[in-house]
Amino acid sequence: MSTVVQPVPRSFGRTIGRRFRDWLPALVVFVLVLVAWQGLVEVFNIRQFLLPKPTAILGALRDNRSDLWSAGIVTFKEALGGFAMGSTAAILVALVLARWRRVGGAIMPYAIAANAVPIIAFAPITNNWFGLLNPMSKMVIAAVLCFFPVFVNTLRGLTSVEPASIELMRSYAAGEIETFRRVRIPNALPFIFTGLKVASVLAMIGAVVGEYFGGPLDALGVVIQNNVALFDFPLAWAGIIVASAFGIAFYAAVAVAEHFLTGWQPAADSRSD
Amino acid sequence: MASRGATVGPAVRSAGLSVLVLAVLCAVWEAYKWIGERAEIRWPFPVNERTMPHVHDMVGQLFEPSRRNGPLLIDVLLDAAAFTAKEAAVGFVLGASVGFLIAVALSQSRLLQRGFLPYIVASQTVPILAIAPMVVVGLGSKGVTGWVAVAILAAYLTFFPVAINTLRGLQSADPRALELMHSYAASRWTILWRLRVPASLPYVFSALKISATASIVGAIIGEAPSSIQEGLGGAIVNFNQYYSLEPRNLWATNIVAAALGITFFLVVAGAERVVVRRAPENVA
Repeated sequence: MSTVVQPVPRSFGRTIGRRFRDWLPALVVFVLVLVAWQGLVEVFNIRQFLLPKPTAILGALRDNRSDLWSAGIVTFKEALGGFAMGSTAAILVALVLARWRRVGGAIMPYAIAANAVPIIAFAPITNNWFGLLNPMSKMVIAAVLCFFPVFVNTLRGLTSVEPASIELMRSYAAGEIETFRRVRIPNALPFIFTGLKVASVLAMIGAVVGEYFGGPLDALGVVIQNNVALFDFPLAWAGIIVASAFGIAFYAAVAVAEHFLTGWQPAADSRSD
Repeated sequence: MASRGATVGPAVRSAGLSVLVLAVLCAVWEAYKWIGERAEIRWPFPVNERTMPHVHDMVGQLFEPSRRNGPLLIDVLLDAAAFTAKEAAVGFVLGASVGFLIAVALSQSRLLQRGFLPYIVASQTVPILAIAPMVVVGLGSKGVTGWVAVAILAAYLTFFPVAINTLRGLQSADPRALELMHSYAASRWTILWRLRVPASLPYVFSALKISATASIVGAIIGEAPSSIQEGLGGAIVNFNQYYSLEPRNLWATNIVAAALGITFFLVVAGAERVVVRRAPENVA
């Protein structure tokens, strides 16, 4: 009996060792890149324009951390609001179109083509709709950006159900709502999360870039833009790092939610993108 | 004859359906505007001639002179679109080539993959577009012409999806086919060229479709902060300043930008249909 249980702790220790060995090359690359970056900037005396030294960026980050943090929060709220609006709308529309398949199938190509529209270029228009300082102007851009990946993935998840499962539900005389609740929606969850993860990144990008076309002075995009204009590149890069950190944290939060909500699902499509 | 009818039929139907979808969208727009103006909708934004111009006014604006005695707006915008398309296309080709080559290199070495793949994946969660002003202004200060700097940005945006998807595609080759190649003592190069690259093509094209859009967005956003006037991004910034006087100019510009994005996408999607369908024949 005990010999059967024994392998577990041993292999656990080994996984940690293997984990470390898996990540070692990545760590080495990270350090090498940073050292080479710092070294090249110093040796060739590249001006701060193109590429400030990593230490200069870190210094700017440290000196302005409270300003950058509050700017990040302002922008993140816009991203979050847009994410919530866009994803909710996308899931609702996908649910409706999955119920009426013919309409859904006919609309799908247009949704994909509409996704090719440079939506961020519409930021000046939403700025004019809602006013530059109204966070709604960035939320709408983020929402439209989020809509398409969530919509396309949700619809795919709701409709790529095993026919046998549907037949089984039919044989139990289950209604359309019951079929959605028991088969289609659980099947769609991994797909929905794939879309939500893409959307989380897009929402942050939409908010930051939307602010490039104008916004409140305490928003991250405006801070980055203004410091580029002032040629204060270390501070601008520090702003980018803050934006990236919020983007990655957002993505990670969605990934954690996915882990808890779809843990029982076979890994399906959740790995892609 | 019958087969010809079968191929023409769906094309005509999908063209008709496209017109119908567009018409419905315009009708929804006009209906919301009509109701909004009469009901004096103030939320989420006030509906009036300034916020929501008539669809026919926006399109009609394209055929008005852009300034007194100047060329028609559509001529100005088509020139701008051609300029932006040049930036995006150069960047797209550059980024896709580099992305593909790097994926091939990574597919040949586990060590390289472990070293670099985490960063390629992590970089997808970074707002790459946010560095647009820095890249363009930074390269500009090094004496790089404006449009080249924007093309580099478009290349950067194209690179990541292509690299990731190509790598995934190269690794998606059927293990049994790989074993067969090994049993024939096929060289690395032969396996790559005959098996892995054809297997990767569907993945490559799904990335190229994403990148086609990304390169256009990158080009437009790249122009905005760098005061490049010749392209669509410059036109958007310019007309944005006069929005309260003439909102239809900005709307018309955005219609052209949307059309450019969809055109790029459709070109890549068309290339996919030709290449991916033929790939198996080339292998055989």
